[in-house]
Amino acid sequence: MMNKITLLFFATLKDYAGTRQTEMEIEPGTKVADLKNRLMKKFPKLEPALGTVLVSVNKEFAFDHEEIPEGAEVALFPPVSGG
Amino acid sequence: MPTIYRITDEQIDLNALLAQITLPGTGAAAIFTGMVRGRTERSGLPPETDYLEYEAYTPMAEAKMQQVAEEIREKWPAVEGIAIVQRVGRLYPGTPTVLIACTAAHRDTGVFEAARYGIDRLKQIVPIWKKEVGPAGEEWVEGDYRPQAGE
Repeated sequence: MMNKITLLFFATLKDYAGTRQTEMEIEPGTKVADLKNRLMKKFPKLEPALGTVLVSVNKEFAFDHEEIPEGAEVALFPPVSGG
Repeated sequence: MPTIYRITDEQIDLNALLAQITLPGTGAAAIFTGMVRGRTERSGLPPETDYLEYEAYTPMAEAKMQQVAEEIREKWPAVEGIAIVQRVGRLYPGTPTVLIACTAAHRDTGVFEAARYGIDRLKQIVPIWKKEVGPAGEEWVEGDYRPQAGE
């Protein structure tokens, strides 16, 4: 059984990916770092951004070693610049 | 205690927000607002900015704004009302883009520091981005803060 996740892209990441939102299937146990590697293959243009990208899982900041749960909403974006 | 946190695409109404965070015992408010700067002296780029285009990951942004408000209350328990509002969309020079307001009984309760902390934290952990558009083209502005686990 694969886990289904929703991916959201913002700012530069949205431009590089060429999309705002997509669905993806991942192996159970996939970690944030694994997902980044898979995304680099799926969206080669993301590569320049992946060094500084921030990741959230279900609206909390997430880090390379964390597993992504089934049904997660995962967002990728650059360091924030609001205000 | 009233806490307002909001991403909006409408004009920020300072008077309405202030009224909502004014309690019977309130005697002081510290308000920070930021606006689009039309000229920036800098090397290598023309100084003019035509407009900024703001984008937010709204559900997470509002959750993080709520977290910032909770952090303020923990550090400055005398703070009464808190408003944290970010406007998104295309915003032209002179337009207020963000507002942080804290109220308290008196001015010496930490309200100035609380509002300052609010804008600093918003610029660190609230997922909002702006793209600058000017005579040289357009470019996303990127921050430099990397949140840690639990932030």
